[in-house]
Amino acid sequence: MTESNGRDPGLLVMISLAGGPKHGHAILLDVAGFAGLRLGPGTLYGALARLEEAGLIEAMPMDGRRRPYRLTESGAAALRGRLTGLDAAIRVGLRRIEAA
Amino acid sequence: MKRLLRLYPSAWRARYEAEVAEVLDELPPDRSMMLDLIRGAFVERARAVWRLIPSNPIPAGGPPMLEHPLQRHPTSLALLALVLVAPTFVFVFVSLLAYQIEVPGLAAAVEPALRALTAPRWVDLFLLGAPFLAFLVAVVPLVGLGWGRTDGELQLTLSLRARALNLAVLLLCVLIGGLLIGHLVSEFLFEAAR
Repeated sequence: MTESNGRDPGLLVMISLAGGPKHGHAILLDVAGFAGLRLGPGTLYGALARLEEAGLIEAMPMDGRRRPYRLTESGAAALRGRLTGLDAAIRVGLRRIEAA
Repeated sequence: MKRLLRLYPSAWRARYEAEVAEVLDELPPDRSMMLDLIRGAFVERARAVWRLIPSNPIPAGGPPMLEHPLQRHPTSLALLALVLVAPTFVFVFVSLLAYQIEVPGLAAAVEPALRALTAPRWVDLFLLGAPFLAFLVAVVPLVGLGWGRTDGELQLTLSLRARALNLAVLLLCVLIGGLLIGHLVSEFLFEAAR
């Protein structure tokens, strides 16, 4: 099923690129592997365009017919901040569920 | 499946189409992928229009004008408007010659054809509505709307372009629409007086 299930494709793409530069198909496979989610190509390239515009990722030279992308420094900082915030929220949420 | 990429804006296609096509080559096509591409095209088109709206303060000389996608094709839209209004033009022109100018023998010749043509209600409605619809189609690419804020005050600016073909079609639409309205009003008054 090609859907985002309400999850942020941009965040998933950045997490994927945090592991190193990847082209579109490799990102799809990676996201499917760590998030169990199959992004559609329209969703993927929508997210890539948004992230590229925001300077959070950058396109690398073409590798054959494929173009790899990588996180920029500001992208890595933004991802770190976002995941740290999520991590804190997740820990609070889990603690509250266990206490209930 | 790659044909769906034509739904995307041209600037987006110039940048990403080859890459997405490469990804599509590697994925088995299915319906959800098709829907995802269509949804993505709508999103990118909406973003392309949104980007045209100026977000910066208004520079000296007034706000920049918003160029909406239809403004880029004034000639195509003028021709479309012409096609829309053509049947009504022919109908009105023939009716004028036959019933107002009374060209000898013409009324008798065209009467059965005109009756048969306008017998279905939708044809009648189309002939009546076409000049107004064509007017809208021809005028849309001539109208530009700009807005922005200066000193916290919202400013709207309307600009009108003068394209000869569009203006000629507009004139034709006004003429035909005016004739139709005049005809309807005179018929109504005539019926009311009887």
